[in-house]
Amino acid sequence: MSTTPPDKARRSIWTRTSAIILLLAFCMGTVAGMAWVVLRQIDELSTANSDNLQWSLAQADVEVLQLELALRKAIADPAQLGEVRRRFDVFYSRIGTLERGDVFRTLRSAPDFSEPHGAVRAFLDDTVPLIDGDDAQLIAALPDLAAQVADLAGTVRELSLFGLATFARVSDSQRSEITGTLIRLSIILAGLLAGLSLLTYSFRRLYRTAERHAHVARSSEARVRAIVEAAVDAIIVCDEAGAIVDMNEAARRLFGYTREQALGRRALDLYFPEVNHDELRAGPLRVFDNGRRPAPEERLFETLGTDASGRVFPVEVSMDRTDDDAEVIYVAHIRDISHRKAAEEDLTEARDKALAGERAKAEFLALMSHEMRTPLNGLLGTMQLMRDHSLTERQTDLLDHMQSSGRLLLGLVNDVLDLEKFEAGKLTAESRPFSVSRLLDAVVETTAALATQGGNEIAWSWLGTPEDRVLGDTRRLRQVLLNLVGNAIKFTRAGSIDIEVERLGGAGEMVEFRVVDTGVGIAPEHLERIFNDFETLDSSYARRAGGTGLGLGIARRLVGLMGGTIGVESEPGAGSLFWIRVPLPRVDQVPSGADAPATLVTETAAGEPLEVLLVEDNEINRFVARAMLESDGHVVTEAVNGQAGVEWAEARAFDVILMDVSMPVMDGQEATRRIRAGAGPSAGTPIIAVTAHALPEEVARFREAGMDDCISKPIDRAALVTLLRGIRGAEANEGEPVRDDASPVLDEAQLADLLDTLGPEATGRLISRCLTEVDASIARLAGTDPGDAELSAAAHKCAGSCASFGLVRLREALGRIETGANSGGVTSGDLGQLGELWQEGRAALLAWQARSQA
Amino acid sequence: MTLLSRTLQAAACLALLLPLPLAAQDLPVPEGEPVLTVSGAIGQTNAGDTAVFDMAMLEGMEPVTIETSTIWTEGVQSFTGVPLHVLMDAVGATGEVLSAKAINDYAVDIPIADWSEGGAIVAFLNNGEPMSTRDKGPLWVVYPYDSRTEYQSEVIYSRSIWQLDRITVK
Repeated sequence: MSTTPPDKARRSIWTRTSAIILLLAFCMGTVAGMAWVVLRQIDELSTANSDNLQWSLAQADVEVLQLELALRKAIADPAQLGEVRRRFDVFYSRIGTLERGDVFRTLRSAPDFSEPHGAVRAFLDDTVPLIDGDDAQLIAALPDLAAQVADLAGTVRELSLFGLATFARVSDSQRSEITGTLIRLSIILAGLLAGLSLLTYSFRRLYRTAERHAHVARSSEARVRAIVEAAVDAIIVCDEAGAIVDMNEAARRLFGYTREQALGRRALDLYFPEVNHDELRAGPLRVFDNGRRPAPEERLFETLGTDASGRVFPVEVSMDRTDDDAEVIYVAHIRDISHRKAAEEDLTEARDKALAGERAKAEFLALMSHEMRTPLNGLLGTMQLMRDHSLTERQTDLLDHMQSSGRLLLGLVNDVLDLEKFEAGKLTAESRPFSVSRLLDAVVETTAALATQGGNEIAWSWLGTPEDRVLGDTRRLRQVLLNLVGNAIKFTRAGSIDIEVERLGGAGEMVEFRVVDTGVGIAPEHLERIFNDFETLDSSYARRAGGTGLGLGIARRLVGLMGGTIGVESEPGAGSLFWIRVPLPRVDQVPSGADAPATLVTETAAGEPLEVLLVEDNEINRFVARAMLESDGHVVTEAVNGQAGVEWAEARAFDVILMDVSMPVMDGQEATRRIRAGAGPSAGTPIIAVTAHALPEEVARFREAGMDDCISKPIDRAALVTLLRGIRGAEANEGEPVRDDASPVLDEAQLADLLDTLGPEATGRLISRCLTEVDASIARLAGTDPGDAELSAAAHKCAGSCASFGLVRLREALGRIETGANSGGVTSGDLGQLGELWQEGRAALLAWQARSQA
Repeated sequence: MTLLSRTLQAAACLALLLPLPLAAQDLPVPEGEPVLTVSGAIGQTNAGDTAVFDMAMLEGMEPVTIETSTIWTEGVQSFTGVPLHVLMDAVGATGEVLSAKAINDYAVDIPIADWSEGGAIVAFLNNGEPMSTRDKGPLWVVYPYDSRTEYQSEVIYSRSIWQLDRITVK
């Protein structure tokens, strides 16, 4: 229902009414003006300004005749002279009246009047001396006077007739003027009457409209009242100050106050426990203080309510404010949510229990996997060692089977551990330059044997322009691809597996890898499920193919980690196509050596026997590692935990220390810090971390602790050999067993990484900032007292800057100061030495920068 | 006139005046030229059954002065004369209406209502000057036209008789 038409109607009625009122005002003004005119005319009429004019004029005729008569009588009888005088005076007086009276002004101003009047006046003036003179003279003049007066009678007659005509005209025009005025007045009065009628009509319509609206309002109010009363929730209406002005039956039931008790009281005082008042006023009810409408998010809130009996219960309040015609009203719906709250609590508890159970299971699984991996590593290592002994063909065969089963088992265990890491959110993707071709070559190479076993052919190819160098997480990508290819091989017999690579258009960073097989395919209803954890489509296949069902789940997570997507298209019987799309930006400029891992390897020296300290708590691992090292001719000293390792390092000089990371009593990082901080003969010996999952941030932490490199568990024999040869070589090159010489001045590989990641410009900026910062820090440190409480923190901060720019030797020195400062093991000599190290590092850094820019 | 006669006259006057209600009963005989003759239903006479006044008698009857404009003159005029009701008291008039006549034989009836206080006067001075016959004199019945609008009607104008010389009380 729209409200516009009635509004418009009402507006138009008002417009019309005001127009009519204006018109009426105009009419009334005109009427008032006219009335004034009429009143003036009436006034003029009511104050008659003349006596009988006609009579006066006629009387002049009569009086001149009477004078003539008196003159004739006096001629006959001189005793009648007095009568002559009186009649003369009377006539004189009459003419004087005509000359001076106000009423004759109209007459006098007419030119036709002046001539006869002049004659009369001349006669009067001439005669006065005779009349006033003595009787004899008057008697003598009587005949002449009589003749004059006889003549004069005609003139006076003329005068009076002229006067009559003039006054007739005047009164005619007066009458017509009055008539005109009255007609005009009538017309205006008619207009006024019409206007009044219109106004009456219009008021009547207004009245009808108002009555209709009132009716609508009444029925609407009744409807609203019914709705409000029927509501289950308590509804209260408050004024601006929060006092209750209305409430419904549900409010009475909920809070136990009748209308009489509640109306006029403040809702806050009545319905909410006092302890919450401040909180409510500061929170959802502050709109009362601000006098504004609550924002949508402020309208719904939960709090505690209290009823007449003092029971306190949770309530949900939905509140809003209406601004209607300057009357501000707050409406609140209040609902008792005790039951909901109780249900929520039950649910929460149930969920928490379930989650705790899940977590316990997951933790158990992770723990079991971890515990299984150590003996597995032992088994695999031992098998590798067995190959050093002369074996029969049969034995080698058996060993192959054992090793393959062991590797499979290890894969499963690693899957579970990967999953656990995902769940804990510990993984992040790396971004390093790598070669796509090399990656795919490796994938194909790794899986070729397995593919051949199933009678499959495997190959990879570029679609579009081949390219090589890209930036991404090669390890994760390899893991995903291996998983997909592994799956394809599992479900394909005597078919082919093709890996296609294509750079997608658009944003330009996405590269799509497709693994296409000609295997059994997947039914459409399963396509969604296969990326779920522990999902094996067919238990018989699962048994045949093996696997935890975690593979694709992990692949999905890994791809997500790299910022990509994974998907599948398949047709049962025809094969499947798994695709992944991941962002792999091109690396346009390939800095030399960026691909090489940051190791100390140099190729100058051959393997020479080394004194090796092996710190490892696991006996089997110890045994395997020892066996590997000894088979290469190295001399091995074992330590069962970090603490023991530190003691050995302080007692003897070793060429290299292999340090397990997680150990009881003291872990590898702590042990490394202590060895570095101590002054023992092995304080500067290269330390290599041995760890199961070397994540980039972990490696950074190891370096922070003073470790030089890192090797993965299970220890790969070839990797170990290479690493140790590097150590030997470095030592041989430097030729000086000074502990600091164990580290290079500058780790150029790290700088190359920086350059790759940030580009030359940003790297240049960072380097110059580093120079400024370290200049200041070293100067400050050199002047600091060795016992200063801030020393450790200052050294740590400076070490951080050095680490970022590959200033390995300086960083190590700073690290030793940092650790030593806490135990008071720093001398001013140590601090003084920093300056020297910095000059050395600074020069190397600038030289590298010059080279890299060239 | 001797001192004695004056004293006697004064005494006579006193004697006349003392019984005041009776004082009006005796009208003196006019000594100068008569200007007004009142006849009809009157209680006081001095010439047969009429009361005759000369100018001196009228001047001795506590004359009043009014200021008013008239339709026959220009500007505001001052008129001095005897109020009509004083004159009627003096003659002991008992009628309801008087019929006034002028030298020019104009005649009009003036009802008792106009003899009231503040009503018509019989004027003998206009702007302090006696009025001649040529100038609507010597007596002129004048109403204070400006004081009341009722006096600005044709009826009143017709009663404003000038050159008055006879009154008959009816």
